[in-house]
Amino acid sequence: MNRYERWAAAAVALLLVAGAAIFFYAPTDYLQGPVQRIFYLHVSSAIAAYGCFAVVLVGGIIYLRIESLAADRFARAGALVGVVFTTVTLVMGMLWAKPIWGTYWTWDARLTSTLVLWIIYAGYLLVRRLAEPGRQAARLAAVVGIFGFIDVPIVHFSVTWWRTQHPGPIVVNDALPPQMLATFLFTLACTLVLAAVLIGIRYRIETLLDERQEVFEPAKVVHTPQPEASR
Amino acid sequence: MSLVVANGIAHRFGNELALAGIDLVLDTGEHMAVLGDNGAGKTTLLRVLATALKPTAGELRIAGLDAFKEKRRLRHYIGYVAHAPGLYPALTAAENLEFFCDLQDMSHSHAIEALDLVGLSAVARRRADQLSRGMQQRLAIARAILHQPRLLVLDEPDASLGSDAADLLATVMRDRTVVLATHDHALANRLCPRTLMLKHGRSHGTPTRLSVVK
Amino acid sequence: MNPLRVAVAVARKDLLSEWRTRELVPALAQFVILALLIGNFGFQVDSRNANVIAPGILWMALVFAGLVAFGRTFAAEREQSSLEAMLMTPASPLAIFAGKAAAAAAMLVLCEAVLLPALALFFGSPISIELITAVLLATVGMSALGVLFAAIVARVRARELLLPLLILPLWIPIVIAGAQAVQSAFGLPGSYDQAIGLLVDFDILFVVLTSLAARFVLDE
Repeated sequence: MNRYERWAAAAVALLLVAGAAIFFYAPTDYLQGPVQRIFYLHVSSAIAAYGCFAVVLVGGIIYLRIESLAADRFARAGALVGVVFTTVTLVMGMLWAKPIWGTYWTWDARLTSTLVLWIIYAGYLLVRRLAEPGRQAARLAAVVGIFGFIDVPIVHFSVTWWRTQHPGPIVVNDALPPQMLATFLFTLACTLVLAAVLIGIRYRIETLLDERQEVFEPAKVVHTPQPEASR
Repeated sequence: MSLVVANGIAHRFGNELALAGIDLVLDTGEHMAVLGDNGAGKTTLLRVLATALKPTAGELRIAGLDAFKEKRRLRHYIGYVAHAPGLYPALTAAENLEFFCDLQDMSHSHAIEALDLVGLSAVARRRADQLSRGMQQRLAIARAILHQPRLLVLDEPDASLGSDAADLLATVMRDRTVVLATHDHALANRLCPRTLMLKHGRSHGTPTRLSVVK
Repeated sequence: MNPLRVAVAVARKDLLSEWRTRELVPALAQFVILALLIGNFGFQVDSRNANVIAPGILWMALVFAGLVAFGRTFAAEREQSSLEAMLMTPASPLAIFAGKAAAAAAMLVLCEAVLLPALALFFGSPISIELITAVLLATVGMSALGVLFAAIVARVRARELLLPLLILPLWIPIVIAGAQAVQSAFGLPGSYDQAIGLLVDFDILFVVLTSLAARFVLDE
């Protein structure tokens, strides 16, 4: 087993343990029933998604400052893994919302800002793909990533503020009993480990992709003495 | 003293290698022609020399400065005529040049002089989209020399110029260091004592010419 | 170098080109009138709900017109490859950005000068200083973001797809605050002052951020 396989195995094992905790250790929610168990992975995914975006942000900033290829690779990896986690968050959110709220979607602050996060990731990945590969794609995407990262909390704040102007139905979030809290924190930790492993693996893939392009045509230059200018 | 020193200039666009490692040295006042078929890498090389493009590998020194780090400082030194004329169609010839005078904090009198030099004084007040292709090309050349650059990089400037292309270019090239890309071998021979042949991003040439051989 | 001279020259060049070709502003004006017409029929507007619907129509029209306007901001440069020529000069990218943003904002304001009276005409919405202030403040933020992202997609493929995708998430806060401000100006519930305060904060934030980003985007 190489180290990536070991990391992957460890992450999967941890998640299996988390899964067991979610289904067998955590108590069933009194109000929401078994559906509530989605919450553990749903919120963990959301946090992991935003964490990946932080990687994109930092990678982008470092790239703009010193044009470090490694930073750009981390940003690329973070974006790809992040969009996956964001998708998971959105889907699980919708699955949870339907039985609980009766609707798949509502424009509250968290859902709206998660959707915005997804759109920004999609934009980032498209810019990378459509811009001239190499330096231009890296720079433009870095700017998109930085703006996107700052935008998500602003959108969240704006929608929250909007709700203060137009109070809607309040979703009551009781404090979590200790068993649920413990399960959540453990699941969160496992999810973050998974995210880190995925980013690490993707980073390696991006490195290989970059190198393969260098290996494409080795340029050997033989220096001949310069002839005199006149013919 | 060598004005332009390039070492191992290589550039790839994604999977495609446009330049495979070019070395060249240009002394002050030299005129060099770059020849090659379409797709050989002429435009890419010229863009690198004009500091319009940072290559994926290689070093470039212009006037003793690192061309990639001191790009901004070198800009006033370099004049570049790209493949496309790069003009604003709704503006007159004079207004096009005056705009670039504004961008470079120069007096508008430079615009008038440049128009004169390329023979466009008569159409100064004509909109750029109403100029013939040849006149547009002259205007693009005028724009490139507005700031009296020491190094002139010309990408197929003769493409739309008429039979007096050689004379116009000779006038513009006088007392400047020039890199000129063209398909016209006769023109190249007439204007430039030195030639660089490019083929698939590599330089070729018979031993009597400047060559870096793979 | 003289950044002010550069910014003024760039703005002047854009506005002069637009004046001579008269392509963009009439198209925008026509677009917003159309949007109002369709809104009127799409929403079953009557004298009671006109004020409730009008803010939504206003912002939809403005956002879509804005997308058209910023999609075209760099069109002239793209068509003629003049962007590269401009960036090859020692002119400061920030000054170029400022000039372009000012010109784009001016054209958007011209479009608003048609939109607001038309809104008043078709929906009976009152035109007040509050309304105009809100719209103008939103225009500042929208323009700064619009021009920056137009520059980002200027040399990228599929830019008609990409530009709205990139810009809309960033315009959302401005639209939320702006919509609230307009609703308050029309007498609907909600705080006008808070909304305007938010618009000012967003404007400052986005103008600063886009100014910092300009040199990375407008760089050859």
